[in-house]
Amino acid sequence: MLTYILRRLVSVAVTFIVVSLIIFLMMHAIPGGPFDANDMPVSEAVRAKLMAQLGLDQPLHIQYLRYMWGVLHFDFGVPYQSPGETVTELLSRAWVPSLVLGGLGVVIGAPLGILLGMAAALNRNTWIDYFASTLATLGLTIPVFVTSMLLILVFAIWLNWLPANGWGKPERWILPIVAYALIPLATYARYTRSAMLDTLNKQFVTVLRAKGLSERRIIFQHVLRNSAIPLVTVFLPMFIGTATGSIFVEAMFRVPGLGAYFVSSIEVRDYPLEMALMLMITFMYCIAYLLSDIVYALINPRIRVGGAE
Amino acid sequence: MNALLKIAGALAVATALTAPALAQTTVIAPSGSTAGTYMDYMKTVYDRGTGSELLQIPIATFDKEFELTPMAAESWSQSEDGLTWTFKLRAGLVWSDGEPLTAEDYVFALQRAATSGYDFAWYWDFAGGIKGWKEVTEGTANVATLGLKAVDDLTIEVTTVAPKPYLPSVTSLWYPVPKHKVDELGDDWAVNVESIVSSGPFEIESWEKSNNSVVFTKSDTYTGPWSPVIDRLELDPTLNAPEVGLPAFLAGDSDYSFLNTGQVPVATQRFPDGIRKNAVFATSYISYDLDAAPFNDVNVRRAFYYAVDRAELTSTVLKDIAIPAGSILPPGYPGYSESVVAQATFDPEKAKQFLADAGFPNGEGFPDVEIWYRDEGGYNGAIVPAMAQYLQAEFKEVLGINLNVRPLPGPEWMDGLRGKKNNIFIAPYEYDYLDPSNFYGIFYNGGRHGYFIPEYDELVAKADSEPVWEERVKLYAQAEQVMIDQGLIVPLVHPITIAVISDQLGGDAAAPNKLGFTSLDRLAHYFFTHLTKQ
Repeated sequence: MLTYILRRLVSVAVTFIVVSLIIFLMMHAIPGGPFDANDMPVSEAVRAKLMAQLGLDQPLHIQYLRYMWGVLHFDFGVPYQSPGETVTELLSRAWVPSLVLGGLGVVIGAPLGILLGMAAALNRNTWIDYFASTLATLGLTIPVFVTSMLLILVFAIWLNWLPANGWGKPERWILPIVAYALIPLATYARYTRSAMLDTLNKQFVTVLRAKGLSERRIIFQHVLRNSAIPLVTVFLPMFIGTATGSIFVEAMFRVPGLGAYFVSSIEVRDYPLEMALMLMITFMYCIAYLLSDIVYALINPRIRVGGAE
Repeated sequence: MNALLKIAGALAVATALTAPALAQTTVIAPSGSTAGTYMDYMKTVYDRGTGSELLQIPIATFDKEFELTPMAAESWSQSEDGLTWTFKLRAGLVWSDGEPLTAEDYVFALQRAATSGYDFAWYWDFAGGIKGWKEVTEGTANVATLGLKAVDDLTIEVTTVAPKPYLPSVTSLWYPVPKHKVDELGDDWAVNVESIVSSGPFEIESWEKSNNSVVFTKSDTYTGPWSPVIDRLELDPTLNAPEVGLPAFLAGDSDYSFLNTGQVPVATQRFPDGIRKNAVFATSYISYDLDAAPFNDVNVRRAFYYAVDRAELTSTVLKDIAIPAGSILPPGYPGYSESVVAQATFDPEKAKQFLADAGFPNGEGFPDVEIWYRDEGGYNGAIVPAMAQYLQAEFKEVLGINLNVRPLPGPEWMDGLRGKKNNIFIAPYEYDYLDPSNFYGIFYNGGRHGYFIPEYDELVAKADSEPVWEERVKLYAQAEQVMIDQGLIVPLVHPITIAVISDQLGGDAAAPNKLGFTSLDRLAHYFFTHLTKQ
């Protein structure tokens, strides 16, 4: 197992380098630079002066190597959008709201989705199943900015129970967390339902029933465990996707999070921040899949690395 | 008993004295952009901290009727040759840390912009025309050669390359920078609330950098004109988008909100007295690469000029958010000329004739062209995409040509414009200072579009230096006639923004001006200092 993990870590490093190269080249291949976003063009002489100040006059490979050398030392540079701080400082500041709201959204939404999916699977073709399926379908198909708007309309404007948006006081967190939670809830409800139905139809369940095991033990000890693989597969990537912020949820609820930086860094050609965000996401996904693989092995002893053992 | 009465009396007086202090008025308003770097307007205009201009006192500014009003300056005068301006500052102005505000702080602000700035480099070149500006920004001359001098603590002398009769209005964007702070901390003085000092009507209480929202309080040290009536001001760029702003307004989280077209009828019905409109003093127009086919032919450009039905465009797809543009200057803007506007008619026959004269009868043989526009938010985001689609249909119907539409991010669009990577663009422009030279400067001597039209340049240069206003206006109108005759642009529309304001807001700032417009935060200094809240 240890060798397997080490081997995977090497592949993470390779992926990291390949992705960084692709992102770097794509970033610089897009026409326009950090001084092109404005109403009047600056003169060529001024542009040249500014490019030299940022080191953008160097050949691309030098720029890349310089940046990656910094990354090795955990130095991701200074964002053009916020030169008073480092990229690391910006990320640690802006990530907090996204992590709190998105993270809580997944942590609350996922178990609820599992319960809903279980209820649907165990009561197949009843109103519970139809209700769960409808909710899951709506949760997955309605865009998050629409659900956000509906939540604000109903709970903030019509009922006047909760603040419409903003960050700070915890009561302002409730609506964005609900908006975030709907996606994991819907996803998990669907996955759990189909995985459990699949397992319930397996012969070993019939055998367990024939042995006279209580239905509760069959469901929680055997069926759920055997249905857990797909649930594990989706969890970490979903967590990363949600806990790094959604530009829509953050805009609708005026959350000062990370989401908007994914777009603005590309829009204003903020190269250091753009690279840092992409590398961060790449790294997190690599680690997430590695962890998922390890958890598979723990849940299901039949999944073993190397095969031959 | 007597003692008890005294205590009760003292308590009553104390309560009466503290009551107004407790009833602090706070205005929460949408403003600014969600990304801001320095709380220093003179460091970066486009990426500035929200409200950074409100923290400082400009040389002069505009009131709601767009009259130029002295602020830091008490008076100004022009030398006989028209080349030198002398600005006399008010005595007693101070920074919020108690340091005196001097002429040196203004001179330093522009010297720094010329040496290490970028987004102001073009502005002070084309608007200010300060002697030596071009050479210093390009690094070929020393900053000491700039035509800027702090004669003494209260006197600033500006020398320009040619007479600039409108220079005082340009100074509405000339804010001081605390030299004593920059000497101590460098440009970083403007990145932390603790080290930011102000010279204007407000001072800073907090700054949330993630979304560039700020909380300002009324300044204790400000002695200049226009002291605020409100105690606190929260400016929040996340409220800018009407989709977010209106729900927040309805929930009582904001004192006003901008509206999108869908929201206008609902808001008008619910808050008939709260609707405010503003002409933004901006214009959307078509520009070309004059050197590339097919737009190197004046007849093609003239055909486009006559092929747009602006009345239909603004009464249908752009209802409520734009009005027709017949000139680069918006209505109400100084120098606006009815005779120029009258020429921008929709004349399909004329348009067809011009296209035929260019060798493309009924559009036959005309190459497919792609019009590039800048993908953005705000009022342009509401107008331009819909307009581009309308133009596509219109040019097909009237001229029989295929126009494809391509939205591009800001930097790519500007790169295309600057590098002439396409031959036709939709370009929006909003005024920077209130004088016709602002809009005509866009096309002067290369300018924004790389246009070099000697006749036009000559007229604009002459108008820019002409001391008599009526003569200047005539010269600008002649310059625009050159634009019309050569089909250099197609003026399309002027945007209108609509907002709904709370009935708790009052004061001169909340009431429309003589033209029926309310500029809200577009005239930030005026608006937030003349606003009251119940």
